[in-house]
Amino acid sequence: MLLKQIKPGEIVLEARGITKRFPGVIANDQVNFEIKVGEIHAILGENGAGKSTLMKILFGQYQPDEGDVFVGGKQVKFKSPLDAIDLGIGMVHQHRKLVPAHTVIENIILGHPGAGRIIDLPRVSREIGELCERYGFSIDLKAKIWQLSEGEKQIVEILKSLYRGAEVLIMDEPTAGLTALETEKLLASVETMSRENLAIVPFITHKLPIVLRISDRVTILRQGKVVASFETEHATEKSLARELVGRDILIRTERTTVEKGKPILEVQELSAFNDRDLMALNGVSFTIHEGEILGVAGVSGNGQGELVEVLAGLRPSVKGKVILDGKDVTAMSSRKRWQLGMGYVPADRNHVGSIGEFSLVENTRMNYYFDSSFYTRGSLNQHKMRAFTQELINEYGVAAPNPEVKAKNLSGGNLQKLIMARVLSRNPRLVIAHLPTQGLDIGAIEFVRNKLHEAKENGAGVLLISEDLDEIFSLSDRIAPMYEGKFMDIVPIEQARRDAVGAMMAGITLEEEI
Amino acid sequence: MRAGSYEIKLVKRISLTNLRALMLSVIAGVVALFAFGFVFVAAGIDPFMAYQKIFSFSFFNDFGLPLTINRFIFLLLCTYAFIIPFRAGLWNIGMPGQLYAGSLAAFGVLHVLDIGKSTTSHMSPLIIWGLMLAAAAVAAAATGAIAGFLKGKYDINEIVVTMMLNYMAYWLVSYMIKEGGPFMNPGGRGESFELPSSLHAPLIWGSPYTLLIALALGLMLFHMFAKTKLGYEIRAYGQNPAAASYAGISRFRIPLLVFILGGAIAGLAGYHYFGAVPGVYKIARNYGFFGDLAFYGIICGLISRGNPLASIPVAFLFGGLSVGGRYVQGELGMSFGLDYALLGVLMITLVAFQFFYQYQIVTTRIRKETSDVGILH
Amino acid sequence: MWEFFIRSLDASTIFLIAGLGELIGQRSGVLNVGIEGAMLFGATLGFMTAQSTGSYLLGFLVGMAIGGLLGLMHGFFSISLKVDQVVSGMGIWILGFGLTTYLGAPYAGPLGMDRIPTVMGLSPFFVLAVVLAGAVWFVLSKTSLGLQIRSVGEDPSVAEVSGINVSKTRYYCSIMAGMLMGLSGAIYSLDYNPVWNYNFLQGWGFIALALVFFSLWNPFILLGGSVLFGTFWQLSLNPQLVLPGLMSRYVWRMVPFAITLGVLLMMSTKWFRDRWGSAKPQALGQPYFKD
Repeated sequence: MLLKQIKPGEIVLEARGITKRFPGVIANDQVNFEIKVGEIHAILGENGAGKSTLMKILFGQYQPDEGDVFVGGKQVKFKSPLDAIDLGIGMVHQHRKLVPAHTVIENIILGHPGAGRIIDLPRVSREIGELCERYGFSIDLKAKIWQLSEGEKQIVEILKSLYRGAEVLIMDEPTAGLTALETEKLLASVETMSRENLAIVPFITHKLPIVLRISDRVTILRQGKVVASFETEHATEKSLARELVGRDILIRTERTTVEKGKPILEVQELSAFNDRDLMALNGVSFTIHEGEILGVAGVSGNGQGELVEVLAGLRPSVKGKVILDGKDVTAMSSRKRWQLGMGYVPADRNHVGSIGEFSLVENTRMNYYFDSSFYTRGSLNQHKMRAFTQELINEYGVAAPNPEVKAKNLSGGNLQKLIMARVLSRNPRLVIAHLPTQGLDIGAIEFVRNKLHEAKENGAGVLLISEDLDEIFSLSDRIAPMYEGKFMDIVPIEQARRDAVGAMMAGITLEEEI
Repeated sequence: MRAGSYEIKLVKRISLTNLRALMLSVIAGVVALFAFGFVFVAAGIDPFMAYQKIFSFSFFNDFGLPLTINRFIFLLLCTYAFIIPFRAGLWNIGMPGQLYAGSLAAFGVLHVLDIGKSTTSHMSPLIIWGLMLAAAAVAAAATGAIAGFLKGKYDINEIVVTMMLNYMAYWLVSYMIKEGGPFMNPGGRGESFELPSSLHAPLIWGSPYTLLIALALGLMLFHMFAKTKLGYEIRAYGQNPAAASYAGISRFRIPLLVFILGGAIAGLAGYHYFGAVPGVYKIARNYGFFGDLAFYGIICGLISRGNPLASIPVAFLFGGLSVGGRYVQGELGMSFGLDYALLGVLMITLVAFQFFYQYQIVTTRIRKETSDVGILH
Repeated sequence: MWEFFIRSLDASTIFLIAGLGELIGQRSGVLNVGIEGAMLFGATLGFMTAQSTGSYLLGFLVGMAIGGLLGLMHGFFSISLKVDQVVSGMGIWILGFGLTTYLGAPYAGPLGMDRIPTVMGLSPFFVLAVVLAGAVWFVLSKTSLGLQIRSVGEDPSVAEVSGINVSKTRYYCSIMAGMLMGLSGAIYSLDYNPVWNYNFLQGWGFIALALVFFSLWNPFILLGGSVLFGTFWQLSLNPQLVLPGLMSRYVWRMVPFAITLGVLLMMSTKWFRDRWGSAKPQALGQPYFKD
């Protein structure tokens, strides 16, 4: 292994003049980057800034069009991640690359040549146990991955890299999906690892406080270029933000308060199972009125998905009642609810919210196929359907050459605009928006948030589910922090404090007067 | 991959126009026939001569053409039985079982009315034909419904279920028509009793009236997929069941419905061959052969890409090929099963062509030699 | 009675070996619904080879080889060309069913060779099948190779970033699967019932497919299921041995298929899944696209 000869403080991994092009975009444009042994060097950038491309180049998943990568001062060309792994580079993925049905040990030794042909379980467990001790991780090696929390899964990923001899650790969004408590623990371990002379490269989208806290240096990417690189001690949250987005202000929706009308959605003691038949939604009650946004704040996996699906009629409830606009819809089918004025924007726009192989016209039809106004004597009025789709495309500024293109060819932002257009054009009484801005660029985020706000101004009740506290605070009239299938509280925005809401998302109620 | 100074790359198709899909299907058919030519070559027979004999018998011969048309009607109905679930992303390979069930029900009507044996009837033939058609459709739909129900309700693999039902129906027919079974032909012979001549189906232009039914079904299905709510629901479910449920389409109702519809049509295919084709008018001893023939429906469905109108010429062509295959087999003294071999070769060629519906091969000129990637030390 | 029991085990052997092949393939994420086609090929070509050369060994080898080739073809279609695995499997089945009918027609009739020696009537292949089941279990659960195979079947993208060649692993498994299916077919036509007749399998392969779902991807449960179904099958062929004169022999032939449906239904109910969980490989039937 090359790295053994490198002393603390010397450069271990370097990228010079990296350029990578994809059809129509330059994802990385002359990017330079270096990291020393024992250093934590954060890479900061918005979605689409070229972060993941750079990360994949450093890990050997992509090959750069121009530029070179050096490990320990020697030029390398990675054919595949395997080459990078062999040189001591490890990756901790955001969407955990672990097999849920297998045990922790099986995941750690997967693909490791040292595990032996016939797996020597006692020796392997001992070795992994030693690693845990050294870096202060505690985890049950025999547990199955699906039983673990997000934080524990991340530990498994780190252990997997370390067990394979990683000395440079690339971490993709290391705190995504973690509770506040788990984040604390992780940051402590990261610091331990850097003291043990590992080089750590966290890639972070916009959690600026984390960057400030743990990194020694930070490099900021914008539109594929490095726009700044400096020691973290010279940075402030504000200066980072300015470099990150290229303008001073972060996204802000002008929130107006609308006169609260009559109740649109009443939910009483609602409970439901998840796919594994565990009680994932556990007695939730709330009411949403006309002209009001209720923001459910929580780390994904705390029952939000189940709540949304039960409300949309896609998952049976075990207990409780759902009353939509005065009618008890608990036992009604999903379509019935659409017809009664529900509008639902799902979290997964590629696999649930749209049909990739269908044209935009047919995707628009998803929320209208049951509407008799588009049929004459049971036969579709194609012309009307197409004209209507074109209208939505124009109104919402969906970038598409014509309404006949397939949905799979739209970018995430444009697809979300189409879905929003389709759902909101029904003038729903209740809008359910599940992670509506996840993975979108800033322009699209702003657009989506404004549209949700507009729906509220027009008298709809909105249920917003988000992980992003900025989003929750800028849109909601009331905030419901969700943890393990329950609402911790429902706080009016005027009384809500970020730290208190953040703590409740992790299941902790701050014992202070509000 | 490289060839000289050109680089050959596979690119996923962004869109496939109807014209291009048609072209691909035609090419697939030609390639399959070319490949099948080797079967003749292996048997020491000139393939051009063999094909010439096949085509002239099937399509231009006064004796062969009616056989082709009868088989065309049968294949078209089987194709529709396959296509409807196929558009919903499900595989109905239960056409044999469904058509056996349909035939049994059609003959069951006569059995119940005690026609067949006494050969006289006081009922109008029109009513009896109607009853036979309805019974065939209902019984086959019920057989299909089992697979649809198990898929929709319990997510049980529909291929295994329809296949099990095929074998069950197969043995049920044996029971009914052989060794003293209720439908046994009085003369023994291992076949069912015959339709009395008063009930022989009317002919239109020399073909059974089921021709009109099959063609009308084609138009109806085309309209259903293109223009109706149900057609949209089926297609949406077929592309993406999760997105379909999001849009309020039932994950239980659609599988059930497509198998009911598909089954009903397969039942008509059974009625057609055993109840309406001149010269048959009974459940024949070799009914298993017609069950096997139903699998041509899969091929027609795949090559027409689920389009009910495109299926019409395809079913006509393959109907002729299978008739002609059987004919040259005897004519040229080849061994049994030539039409089966054709079925196999067509199928596997089509499978390979599924690839081209999704990908295209792009060749680009390489500007400069790039060095091979690898670790440099 | 002893003879009936022995015949049942012989029948189980055929289900088990074909099922083990399918199980290996499915564990790596490759669904092959064309088992029956591969078995027909193995049976027919094995039969033809043995009859023309007089050598059982050659017959079995050819049966395995053709099965392996079909597995390779299935791999080529579904892994390299990314054709839907069901489409490809159906292709193999219909190809097998169509082509063997034609190829084998001149050979129709009994094999006409000395029977393969047995131990107290029991075919040595049953022992082989049981040993194979144990070996498959050991490799899958105790070795690095098995872990690789299972990971590829659960989540190929995870396997890929762990340095495993997903396509290669799936190819090997698909070929291995095909070889076992071919062998199983050859055992049918050379040992169990050495008479060639067109499309003689009549659903053995599809029942083997159902048995793999039933086995929860565990070779030992597959062994149990195979013995059970071998017995049902034999019973359906000779109902007079156990329940003489109860139903028409044709009705008896329906029984194994009906039981298969019943078993599939039972194990798909919530009650069953709550107790025994779902062990289905998560990536089963899905082609893998590198991003």
